[in-house]
Amino acid sequence: MKKIRAIIDTAIRRGQKTLSEYDSKKVLAAYGIPVTREVLAKTLVDVRAAAKKLKYPVVLKACSDDTIHKTEKGLLAVNLASDKAVVDAFRTLKKRAGQNYGGNFLVQEMVGGHRELMIGMIRDGQFGPSVMFGLGGIFTEILEDVVFRVAPLRKRDTLAMMRGIKGHKILSAFRGMPAVDLNLMSDSMIALGKIALDHPEIEQIDVNPLIIKGSRPVAVDALIVLDT
Amino acid sequence: MTRRNPAQTAHHLEKFFSPKSVVVIGASATPGKPGNVVIRNLQANGFEGKIYLVNPRGGEIEGLKVHTSITDLPDNIDQAIITLPAAATMETIRDCAAKGIMSIVLAASGFAEVDPSGAQLQADLKKTIMETGVRVLGPNTTGHVSMPSNFTSSFFPLGRIPRGNVSYITQTGNFSGISLRHIMSAENFGVCRVAGLGNKIDVDEADLLDYLGQDPETKSIFLYLEGIKNPQRFMRVASKVTRKKPTFLLMGGVSNAGASAALAHTASLASDERIIDGALAQAGITRLFKYSHLFQVAKALACMPLPAGNRVSFLSPSGAFTVCMTDLCLSVGLEVPDIEDKTRARLQDISPSFIRMRNPVDIFGSVALHSFEFSYGEAMEAVLKDKNIDAVVAILMITDETGVPSYDFIIDLAKRYPAKPIYVTFMGQHNHNVAAKAYLERHDVPAFMLVEEPFEVLGILNRCRMAMKGE
Repeated sequence: MKKIRAIIDTAIRRGQKTLSEYDSKKVLAAYGIPVTREVLAKTLVDVRAAAKKLKYPVVLKACSDDTIHKTEKGLLAVNLASDKAVVDAFRTLKKRAGQNYGGNFLVQEMVGGHRELMIGMIRDGQFGPSVMFGLGGIFTEILEDVVFRVAPLRKRDTLAMMRGIKGHKILSAFRGMPAVDLNLMSDSMIALGKIALDHPEIEQIDVNPLIIKGSRPVAVDALIVLDT
Repeated sequence: MTRRNPAQTAHHLEKFFSPKSVVVIGASATPGKPGNVVIRNLQANGFEGKIYLVNPRGGEIEGLKVHTSITDLPDNIDQAIITLPAAATMETIRDCAAKGIMSIVLAASGFAEVDPSGAQLQADLKKTIMETGVRVLGPNTTGHVSMPSNFTSSFFPLGRIPRGNVSYITQTGNFSGISLRHIMSAENFGVCRVAGLGNKIDVDEADLLDYLGQDPETKSIFLYLEGIKNPQRFMRVASKVTRKKPTFLLMGGVSNAGASAALAHTASLASDERIIDGALAQAGITRLFKYSHLFQVAKALACMPLPAGNRVSFLSPSGAFTVCMTDLCLSVGLEVPDIEDKTRARLQDISPSFIRMRNPVDIFGSVALHSFEFSYGEAMEAVLKDKNIDAVVAILMITDETGVPSYDFIIDLAKRYPAKPIYVTFMGQHNHNVAAKAYLERHDVPAFMLVEEPFEVLGILNRCRMAMKGE
């Protein structure tokens, strides 16, 4: 927890509005939310070594505290299945990021799974920290199939949240996919509320997508917004 | 505003709801003026406490002596109802406090809900409240009602208010005014406590919910709010209350369009729809979405229990109703299950053999064969006895040609099967329906003019049952 404190304090001291994906996930992981295996790298040499270590296929992302909306900016390459693909992707991302880009690159395990969910947190002016659950990925904005509860959450709240979205069947077994581990989902949501209560400097959290790998959720992208 | 200690708040609320003495400041001899209507309402309801009146002109109003100033009053009157204009409020409160009158209803409008100068008055009022330590309901409220004490501070002409076990906390004066008149004249159930919150400068929904949660006279609680003053405290209180008492809330002004209207109405801000929805679910509050459900659901609980489950049986004189009302039940989370074999056999006994009897109960053939009272009575009793059924709705069809039956068999069934709710609704000739509804409701059987209403109500009560269990 001391490390988490230090990450947040440093970011605030530097005037950052957000934590980088890498640091955001450090915070999540400290509270037990499953995140992707990933390595932060600066140079092509480091990126290639990391990819090899994580095993192909991997994902490569630009990663700094001001890199948000990576997909829209083309700063993300997925399903890189070989060293050559990693090298090509690195060059492309570096070009897109521009000459002035001083940030890092994040090499990440490619999480296989067809189901994308989302959890998040906002600080409501009236009710205080509120945790969200809903469909993730591109469906977040299209369907707006989300529910909220106010932190701290109890397990019966998180179970009600999962029952409460229109697309709740996504959590059941279907098309050969196993049912989602509701206990793990529940723990992750409770943890998000706890992060908010422990750290008043955190204004918002997005964990999107939270990909279901087999039956287990994994935070594939994350963003923590600070109250500055 | 800083929080006061809960024991003190309960003490002051006791003086609002069970006063032994009250003073109307701004008493008026002119019929129709708030300062006059309040007195007439108190007298019409047989308030047994002492009523004092203050008006600088003195004399006598409605047979009561008028004091010319607050300083002339005896000390420690339990409650003051102030019907003076906003500008006169601050001085009046100080005078009340000096006389030991610490619970005050402020009827005046013209505060924050109006304009910036009103907002300044409201800020001054807040300061005065803090300095004097009085407790205030309002301002900008029609007042409140407390039937266990035969008491009301309402300045809306009400006459005698029927007493019941349903209580209201509303951010509108309606439930001490026109909506109460509707309840009294059209819905035929009684109320216990009603509080119009007004601008909530001091006493708020959380204070009142806490009080009503512990009030032995209150069996169910209905709230209408346009904003929640202290949401986190409100949720804490509600989580406790909803374990014991069915609690419902209609939240007005949640959509953007509603929010600007709310600002003009009682100067409050709306919060995000989805967060409210989640927060209320966590607190065990059942959300309502229609204003009329504030009295239709209340009526259902006023004299019938909360259904033990979601399984409904209904009697219908038409095939179309059996189909459409089954669809409606399923869409609001109710079941229309199969009935027991012995129930089905009994229903078949009283029917022509060409109708295959089941749930929902197609009663028309039986009525043609026997009589209205026999067929409805036997069929209702059969499904009431069925262990697969939690609630029964009878759709009556009465016309000049069918003749008007006695409804006493329904009242009798309600008495003999008190664990399962019985509701009545109609299709047929309006004048007979109106008369039947009034008769049944006066004998504690809720009736609904439109055929969908009892099923919508049962759907809401089912949500309530689950909310109270934390599901």
